[in-house]
Amino acid sequence: MSTVEPGTVLPALSVAFTRATLVRYAGASTDLNPIHWSERMAHQLGLPTVIAHGMLTMGTALRVVTDWCGDPGRVLSYYVRFTKPVTVDDTDEGSTVTFGGTVTKVENGVATISVEARFDDTKVLGAATAEVRLD
Amino acid sequence: MISESHIGRTYPPTAPYAVSAAKVAEFAAALGDGDNPAYGGPDAVAPPTFAVVLSSTAWGAMFDDHELGLSLSRTVHTDQRFSWRRPLRVGDEVTATLRIDKVRARGTSAFITLTVALDAGGERVCDATSTLLHTWPAEDVA
Repeated sequence: MSTVEPGTVLPALSVAFTRATLVRYAGASTDLNPIHWSERMAHQLGLPTVIAHGMLTMGTALRVVTDWCGDPGRVLSYYVRFTKPVTVDDTDEGSTVTFGGTVTKVENGVATISVEARFDDTKVLGAATAEVRLD
Repeated sequence: MISESHIGRTYPPTAPYAVSAAKVAEFAAALGDGDNPAYGGPDAVAPPTFAVVLSSTAWGAMFDDHELGLSLSRTVHTDQRFSWRRPLRVGDEVTATLRIDKVRARGTSAFITLTVALDAGGERVCDATSTLLHTWPAEDVA
């Protein structure tokens, strides 16, 4: 981690969210909101189909950071805005989201990382930023 | 209905939640990260965003507060911040305490910012700050 500097690019990650992913996350997180598993309820809210939990996207995106720094205990803070939902049709391939990260600042042994999540060529997280202890 | 007068309102801490190896493994697997050695073994920590399991439990008190007139099904989560003093660990007994930080009500909707403090063994482990957008049916507001 000694060569970390602004501009350092973290290895990217691609993850396919299927309906099974959403059901599993619903159970693990206890977020049972039906817009994540019921097309009927999603349609009632004007959505084209069910959407992934924002927290699933947020949590998966952080894997870019924890895989890179090696120890989840180094993560000091993490912020995201949920700017666009990830729609998930009932298909085998699901919806592939690509995640990346770039170091934007290194100060007092803490690296600030700008995290990116894209689905369908659109950013789905806004201003996503994590701080990681380096020492 | 919720208004700026509710800024600062807090609710009693949730009942202690014991972080178990099984729940941590289940949550890591749900993030596709079940093979990460940090989330298993005798020194297992929880994935950082596991904090949401605890913080969202504390939201219940606010949605049950009839004075505020809030309903989870009319709520959209617009942003989320976590600040950790240390990771949550298997064996931690965690309580979650919710405080309303900010309310911006306009017409039929309100932005509500709230912080859930997670404490284990008498020390602060994590602050989870969320902004929620709540929308009321127009006929309720008129």
